This record gives sequence, C-alpha cells and structure tokens, in this order.
Amino acid sequence: MSIKVIRAGMQTSIQDLGRFGFMDQGIPRSGFMDPLSATLANTLVGNVSHHPALEICMLGPELLFNQDISIAICGAVFEVERLRPHSPPEPIHNNLAVKLKAGDKLRFAKRLSGARAYLAFSAGLAIKPELNSHSTHFGAKFGGFKGRALMAGDEIPLTNIKAPGSNQQTPTEEKSVLGYGGRYILRCVDSVETSLFSRQQQRDFYHNKYQVGQASNRMGLRLDGPPLSALNIADISSSGLLNGSIQIPPGGLPIISGVDGQTIGGYPRIANVISADLFALGQLVPGDQVQFVKVCKNQAHTLLVSQKHYIKQYTS
Amino acid sequence: MNRYPYRLVDNGDMGLTILFEAPISRALSIYIVQLAERCRARFSQHIVDLIPAYQSLTLGFNLDSEWAATQTFELEQLIEETQLSADSLSTKPTKRVEIPVCYGGEYGPDLAPMAQQKNMTQQSLINQHSQTEYFVHMLGFAPGFMYLGGLDPSLACPRKSVPAMQVPAGSLGIGAGQTGIYPQVSPGGWHIIGRTPLALFDVNNTPACIVNPLDSVRFYPISASEFENWNTP
Repeated sequence: MSIKVIRAGMQTSIQDLGRFGFMDQGIPRSGFMDPLSATLANTLVGNVSHHPALEICMLGPELLFNQDISIAICGAVFEVERLRPHSPPEPIHNNLAVKLKAGDKLRFAKRLSGARAYLAFSAGLAIKPELNSHSTHFGAKFGGFKGRALMAGDEIPLTNIKAPGSNQQTPTEEKSVLGYGGRYILRCVDSVETSLFSRQQQRDFYHNKYQVGQASNRMGLRLDGPPLSALNIADISSSGLLNGSIQIPPGGLPIISGVDGQTIGGYPRIANVISADLFALGQLVPGDQVQFVKVCKNQAHTLLVSQKHYIKQYTS
Repeated sequence: MNRYPYRLVDNGDMGLTILFEAPISRALSIYIVQLAERCRARFSQHIVDLIPAYQSLTLGFNLDSEWAATQTFELEQLIEETQLSADSLSTKPTKRVEIPVCYGGEYGPDLAPMAQQKNMTQQSLINQHSQTEYFVHMLGFAPGFMYLGGLDPSLACPRKSVPAMQVPAGSLGIGAGQTGIYPQVSPGGWHIIGRTPLALFDVNNTPACIVNPLDSVRFYPISASEFENWNTP
C-alpha cells in the first residue's frame, strides 16, 4: 500500500497543518504554505484538516497509486491527467474527490495558475510523525518523508486506506475552477517595530506596488519594487518572528516570513500579514504583484472568524 | 515594584510581544524564561508558541482561540506576579555543556585572517575563545541555534560584507559581538573559526537541542584527527 513517485516535480513534499510549540527551540511551524486549499482537499476525501497531504510546488510530479483510493487536488491549477492501462488519458480537475484504481497514475503537466497544489488522499501515512507533525523541515532534514522533498523512486507507505465511496464524483465531470490572478492584496496589521518607521515610510509601504522576487520559498518571500527610503532605525533587539511578518532589511525591500521562516529575526518589521490572508502566501509566484492594505486588529479577527465559517461549510 | 518595565506590542493579529527596556543580561533572560514557563502553564489552550529572546517574550496564539481578541488583562496580571516573585523563582535545572571544536585549518578557514587582522596569534585567539564560559540567552533563528552571551569584546568582528553561500553544519563563527554555531548547512555572514563534530540538533533526541536557554556553554579545542574520528564508534 503506497504511492510511488515516478517523477518528483520541483519540490513535492509531505506537510500537514504544522508543528506547534517548538519555536523556542528555533523550530518553525512549517506545514502547508496554503492551509486553506489543503484543508479543502483533505475535506473532499473525508480527512480532518490536519491530515498530511502532498504539497506540490510549481512543477508537478507523476505518481503511481498501488491500491484503490480517493484523492482530491486543490490550490494551484495544473493540467493533470489520470493514466490507466488500456484507457485513454482522462483530465483530472481541481476541487473534486476522484476515485482511483490500483495501477492508476496521475501525471501533472503544465501549471496554469498559483504556486502550490495540494493532493489529499483517503489514507493514513505509515510514517512516524516527528515532533508531533508530518510536516517536512528541509533545513534540519526531519519530518515528512525522510526529512526531504520526494524523489523519483520513493514509495510513500500508506495505512488505513478508506475505499472510495460510491457517491463520489467521477473524474470526467468537468467543473470550472477558480484560478489565481497574479495580483494580490494582502491585508496587514501593525507589528512590533511599526512605530519606528516614519509616517512617510509607512505611507510608501502601503502605496507601493511590489513584485514577488525569484529568491522566494517556504522560508520567506522577497519582494522587488521601489525600496523604502533609508531607514533611520538603530539596530533593534532580535525577537520572536511569526509567519507573515514583513521585515525591512537595510536595502529597503520587504521580506515576508513563510511557514519555514526563522523563529527569531533582527530586521525591523513594518507590518504583519493578517492570519486570514496567510494562505495567499502559498500561491504567490515570482513576478506576481502584491499590494498591502492596512486593517485594524478587530477587522483582522473578524475576517479570520468568517474564514473559519467558510471552511466549516465544507468540513461539516 | 516593576523590576523590568515592559510594553505589550502587537506582533500581527495572532501574536503579541512583551518588550523589556532593561539591557541584555543573564538576570533578564532568567526572568523571561520563567515568565515563558508560567505563560505556558497558565494559558496553554490559548498560546501555542512562546519565543523568549534577549529583551522580549513573543507569544503566538492558537488560531482557534478567541482569547487573542480579548483584553490582555490576564497576561498583564501574570507579568506583574512573576516580577514580584522574580527573586524566589526557580527554573528547570540548568547545565554546563562542553562542545568540542576543531579550530582553524579547513574547519575554520577564517581563523588565520582574523588573527592576523587582530594582531594576535591563532593560538591566543583560540585560547581566548575557548576559555570563556558562554551563557545561552535563547534558541532561535534555525533549529538548535544558540544565541550566546559572553564573547570577549576584543574578539568582536564585523560581519562579512558578502555572506558565504554555504556554511557547513557545525561551523563556529563570530559575527559582530556574537559567537555561535550553525546547526545546519546554511548561508552565513559570520567569520568561521572552527567546527564541531557534535550535532547540536537531532530530532531523535528529547529534547532535540543539546542545550536549553539559561545553560552554559564552553568550547574546547580538539585536533583535526579527533574531529574526523569523533563519530566513528
């Protein structure tokens, strides 16, 4: 009982909602960069939201399924085909539960929009979680599958496979899919050092249009654009850095912390992306346009509560 | 009454940082770690992550908790209580950890240029670095990275202007007024003066890091051949 990796893709890894409570040891939460899409995928196959799933980044894999199983793909949109012996290839669409038979392959081809797709499967992982989570930490090489991205030839061992139910949709049923437009508004609240920035710097930050830079990954997203004017800020005391923090290093270009980001940082933070918008960080592709909009903390909490209600519609 | 004046500052919509104005010190770190332990015990259902740092304690809230939205009165009360009893508080027992380091040569390529620049012999630099007892203020940045206090000011050295693309795991560096070890391979801007064969972070150990905040660390020199045979049984 396994999923066999025929072609790995750029960075296909096992993640879940993350590991909590270890940041004081320098261990970030890791987990899904877009927990919203991952939760929807898990829900479609009958899993709880913290169930491990595959995170597929930019360039997709080809996978062989050795048993009947349900899968669902959410998040970034790829052209995906199901290959079955003696059958013509069938397109597989996002946001559907799909029944696969033993021997079926899924082949990810062209990426159409977004950065990360989530492939949930109706089975448990026969792998021991590390520090309470299946999330892969690439830097310290633990969690997930041998602490690394998947490689061709890997077999992901499965357990407790739930056979596909009869009421699930078939892969041929076409559904329209929401894509990701490449232009994002990220809502922000104040951070620890916001008050150290001048009014002009804050105005510029919320006025500028930024592009997602090439050197962006799960640790952080580097933005290109007009640098903020020279920071008149003395060295600050390094302190706890949370996912979504927007640091301004001496060069004046923002860096947004990702789920694998460092746990303590020394650059001043001008703002933090609100929790309800963090999922979007997982879908940003180099070249995408980003603008920041300031909201107050109460709005941020209201938005998070309504997002939870939105997810609940699907999960209950 | 307020031994350590503090401010509560938002760290995003689901986090809070308690900033202390007092200068960096061993006593302040002890207080911050004690406060973190108390927060962990009292607010475990609301707070999922606690990050002590030199002059702050950062709390990361549980996204399922509405507590973050409510007033911070309870937290302020706990801070006050902890301050009142700061002298009598006890922490988990601390330890002194000895870390073997092969200084210089291929494991510490920046030792020779640094000694030359400081007009010291390599040996005197090694002696000075290894005869100090360092204090672990906090862990952070990367899994198992120690923020150490105690570097002799004469060994301080500005960070490299161009960071190295890849520093090997276990590398011991000096950057500005700090010294520390890169637990994993990473880019780095510190001057690398040696390397330890010990794994500072191993997920198979409990705890995964060989030191905790408030522990003491001393480095002791080993030879290149000792380094190479360290992990062979």
